[in-house]
Amino acid sequence: MDSENNVITINTHQFGEITIDIANIFLFPNGLLGFEELKKFILISDEETEPFKWLISVEEPSIGFPIISPFYIDFDYNIGKEIDLENNVLFVVVTLQDENKNISANLKAPIILNLQKMTGEQFLIPFEKYSTSHIISHSE
Amino acid sequence: MLVLSRKIGEEIKIGNLITVTILGYDRGVVRLGIQAPRDIQVHRKEIYDKIVTLNKISSQTEVDKFKNVVNKNNLNLNIKKK
Repeated sequence: MDSENNVITINTHQFGEITIDIANIFLFPNGLLGFEELKKFILISDEETEPFKWLISVEEPSIGFPIISPFYIDFDYNIGKEIDLENNVLFVVVTLQDENKNISANLKAPIILNLQKMTGEQFLIPFEKYSTSHIISHSE
Repeated sequence: MLVLSRKIGEEIKIGNLITVTILGYDRGVVRLGIQAPRDIQVHRKEIYDKIVTLNKISSQTEVDKFKNVVNKNNLNLNIKKK
């Protein structure tokens, strides 16, 4: 911990020890579904898994979610409520499926990050259009 | 569990801010209208449970296994047009 420089070091499950600037922490007032007690997350980029990124809990760094912009999956993705895409970015949580052979994306419950307020939420889309387990298929 | 009997059109108040209205009943399906503040998310329980399960699995993703899938498979993503 080095509070003078406003950085903290956390020991993550996915990337080992990383040092983060506390200004980059997103506050999730309601946590994520099933993780309501976790309020602080950090967005990590890893070249080897681009364009996926990682949302990692600052309070419980053994918890980390691979995520991706839904627009990589669906150009017309629309969560049905107005958000200002200048200050907000959308991600969807992805999961390894079929004994780690495939990746599925939860298009039903996107994560909205507000870059201006540095806040986040997992929003459950109330209408029927999107799947919780959309398989990102292989090209070929 | 509190059990209440209500007729169609009647309401239930949960706290000061949430109102549930019984809208109708047809062939085993009850329709409810729910008024709640914007910051209270209302979900169908089975969808909520499914998302919790997916979040739990995702939260334990092994980065090496994930890299393997990303590298091995040319995933069908809208990258070229971006």
